[in-house]
Amino acid sequence: MDTLLTAEIVANSPQFRRKSSTFVDAIHDLPEKADLAPAQLYSTESGRLFHSGRIVIITVGLPARGKTHISVALARYLRWLGVKTRIFHLGDYRRATIPFGEDMPEDYFFVNASASSVLLRQKIVRKCREDIYHFLNHENGQIAIYDAVNPLASGRRSLAKEFAKHDIETLFIESWCDDERIIEENVRRVKISSPDYVSWTPDDAVKHYLTRISSRIPQFQTMEEKDLNYIKMINAGQRLIVNNRSFGYLSNRIVFYLLNLHIKSRRTYFVRAGVSKDLSYKSDSSLSEKGDDYARKMTERLLAHRESEKQEMIERGDVGYELRPLKVWTSTRRRTVETAKYLYDKGYKVRQRSQMSQLNPGVCEQMSERRIRAEWPDEVAKHELDPYHHRYPRAESYHDLAVRLEPVILELEREQNDLLIIAHESVLRVLYGYLMACNAADIPFLEFPRDEIIEIIPESYQNEARRIHIPDLPEEIIPASPEDIKIPVPPSGVVSPMQGLGSPMDGSGTPQSGLRTPSGLRTPREPERISQQHVEDVV
Amino acid sequence: MSPAYLGFQSEDYKICVVMVGLPARGKSLIAGKAMRYLAWVGIPAKVFNVGSYRRHATPQPAATFFDPHNEEGERMRRAAAEAAMTDMLQWFQDGKGVVAVLDATNSTKERRKWIYETCHKADIETLFVESICDDEDLIMNNILEVKTTSPDYKGQDPELAALDFRNRIRNYELVYQTIDDDEKSFTYVKLINVGSTVIINQIKDYLSSRLVYYIQNLHIKPRSIWLSRHGESEFNLSGKIGGDANISERGEAYARKLPELLRQSGVPENTKIVIWTSTLKRTIQTARHLKAETGYEKLEWKALDELDSGVCDGLTYEEIAEKYPEDFAARDEDKYNYRYRGGESYRDVVIRLEPIIMELERSENVIIVTHQAVLRCIYAYFMNVPQEQSPWMEVPLHTLIKLTPRAYGTEELRFKANIPAVSTWRGKGSSAKHQDFPAEGSEPASTAGTH
Repeated sequence: MDTLLTAEIVANSPQFRRKSSTFVDAIHDLPEKADLAPAQLYSTESGRLFHSGRIVIITVGLPARGKTHISVALARYLRWLGVKTRIFHLGDYRRATIPFGEDMPEDYFFVNASASSVLLRQKIVRKCREDIYHFLNHENGQIAIYDAVNPLASGRRSLAKEFAKHDIETLFIESWCDDERIIEENVRRVKISSPDYVSWTPDDAVKHYLTRISSRIPQFQTMEEKDLNYIKMINAGQRLIVNNRSFGYLSNRIVFYLLNLHIKSRRTYFVRAGVSKDLSYKSDSSLSEKGDDYARKMTERLLAHRESEKQEMIERGDVGYELRPLKVWTSTRRRTVETAKYLYDKGYKVRQRSQMSQLNPGVCEQMSERRIRAEWPDEVAKHELDPYHHRYPRAESYHDLAVRLEPVILELEREQNDLLIIAHESVLRVLYGYLMACNAADIPFLEFPRDEIIEIIPESYQNEARRIHIPDLPEEIIPASPEDIKIPVPPSGVVSPMQGLGSPMDGSGTPQSGLRTPSGLRTPREPERISQQHVEDVV
Repeated sequence: MSPAYLGFQSEDYKICVVMVGLPARGKSLIAGKAMRYLAWVGIPAKVFNVGSYRRHATPQPAATFFDPHNEEGERMRRAAAEAAMTDMLQWFQDGKGVVAVLDATNSTKERRKWIYETCHKADIETLFVESICDDEDLIMNNILEVKTTSPDYKGQDPELAALDFRNRIRNYELVYQTIDDDEKSFTYVKLINVGSTVIINQIKDYLSSRLVYYIQNLHIKPRSIWLSRHGESEFNLSGKIGGDANISERGEAYARKLPELLRQSGVPENTKIVIWTSTLKRTIQTARHLKAETGYEKLEWKALDELDSGVCDGLTYEEIAEKYPEDFAARDEDKYNYRYRGGESYRDVVIRLEPIIMELERSENVIIVTHQAVLRCIYAYFMNVPQEQSPWMEVPLHTLIKLTPRAYGTEELRFKANIPAVSTWRGKGSSAKHQDFPAEGSEPASTAGTH
């Protein structure tokens, strides 16, 4: 045991991070039980997929190039595919090692750093690497993402060599930018919210931050090492250069994902479709009067919310702030398309996507839960054992739905505008489950009451969700709505995935039951935001 | 269904994949494969080969035809490109397709600009795919292996054909312009030396990204893929479907004969073959002797397991027809989309096989021992069998199929072990019994090309 590792460092180290609520992306938590991931096609005994061995993905790039964002997004996608993935942000280890309030030595990143800085650097890297080996060797991990600057070719070569000794493949992902606007936007968005810059104007803060980076990290070599496996992303994905020495299935799949990823920030909103006249799945009928009323109120509330966000930004000093354009996606079913009609009339772009149609209820269509229980007792029993994977006769399972939605998920990543998704609750569950890295077993239980707009706010470190209340809706259309298919899920309390996942450290009373708040207990509320403070990585 | 009642546009983008590269760089191979892959996953696609339009006018041109100073040659090639383009636009306009592949050298910036603008006007996205190779050995290999079998050289001396072809390439080299920064606003992929370096520029939609992903997994090294069903199982004998039964005595005899059968099929010297099986006993037992005798590496894939027949698992067709008459009829109606209660459809199997196909494309020589439905799906991918036919194909027991990809189609050879086995094939709309495949199909062609 390294004596330099004090109890405090261990306690601060990222392994001891608190568990997230469903309002905070669970991407940095590891599920406790080995469970099939949402879109996993099959399982293997080793818990690893596709016989592809173990890979360390190593990020390369100066600060403010979106490395952390790429790491987190990639981990989210890989876990969704069922690949056991974990991120190791070197910055977290640095913060855990350097006592709070103290700055790191000026020469920390220098090639000719002082002996004490070199020692400190080695200590931090060693702890991080020990955790990586532990994850890959003893926790059945398949992909470790090592998120650090890695500025020099020599350092990268020795990393590759060291991992190769342990029979671990390496894949470098560099984010390289020569477009100053992209860098500045990134700094503005994720780097200058730290307390250091409280009284600065954004422009001055950006300038100061960039100057600081170049003096701190005077040497950076972009990747040209033909002997290493690497992917170079240029200007946030405008161009990708792939140097393929020995790419396996997963590495190629990662290229595919990165082709759809960008590093711009945007919002995603989820709402339910309005209620329709005819309740049957097959009839595809139009909105009822109440459904139309809902569509109008939802539109008003959403636009008012966006307007107030804009005002807030302007009050904060960003005088020229403009909202990103809003696009609307619906399924091809009449109810969802018609729910978008007030937005369409106001000139918003609406796109229909056939993959977003709801979970096919099969034989359960238009049956009450009681009748399903009476007619299909065996199926109900199987369903209660595994509500995510089980399909009723002729029906789709949530797993089927997740696989069907994969193109939508990649296009969701690809979209640069704000996005409102109007869909059936089953579709919202799966898409939300992806963005917030939910455990597959929890997905069938997520609730999207009709009086709430769910807003997903991406931060570079994780996504957060908030709920925006839509006022004045008739009580009867809010919860599990009449047109819904009554596929029985286990009564609450039997399987209770959100509870007992740990309580927030700050004791702020974050609702741990997440979206499963019983509808009877809900009271009118203002938009709430449950956030986990992440100390910004200011070099 | 596209409800037009609100005037919303549903998405319907069209993509023209434009191949770029000197001859013998594997363009036709990539074009053909991309088309087959798309069709297999259910996206209508078609290759428009400019060469075949040109061939129509000059069936077997000499190398001088391709000299850029030969005005007549230049004019005819231009005419061929325009004819291909016209047909392609018509094909899109008829609403038949989503992806077209324009297979030609498209070697100048001027030509590419013309293609881009013509497509742009018709609201078609372009994706340029350039294959660059400066490895002389690889190029010559490609010429000898592939080009001398091209229709241009039918019936000619291979040596002379290769020589003529090398001269033809030189003519192209004189005018060839690689895609560079002048064209940085285009969506393109540059594959350098068979994908060891790939540059991907300005991908604007999901489908293009998916195509790039697929193309990235391709290689052009010569190889073969062998397909076999497991040896006859105890369930086959009793006519039951599904399950995880052992192989029968005759199945065991097939397993013993498999190494010899593989040798008979022709395995080039010093070739490493990897054995893939499912996780079910009958495939593992069938590959057992092959593994022991050859020492080849073996992988077991869950994704190669037989189509899950849900509640019908372990039943005979007669029992299914009796217990679930509606299902039995529904399955005959649309076998590709029919999903067994609590089980899978062929469509489901194709989805779960996609990673296998990607892995297969990345691999070299592979022998796959698997099950009837899974084998049908894999076979359909390589041989471009339409969805409505693939579930009805006859793939007899105790037969080894060897597939060898060529630029102008996949070559198929079948080798019978001459070990008797029950038939597990049942014709559409026929009674609930396994039956013999109709006589005219019982000796499938020894070679079959797809185009």
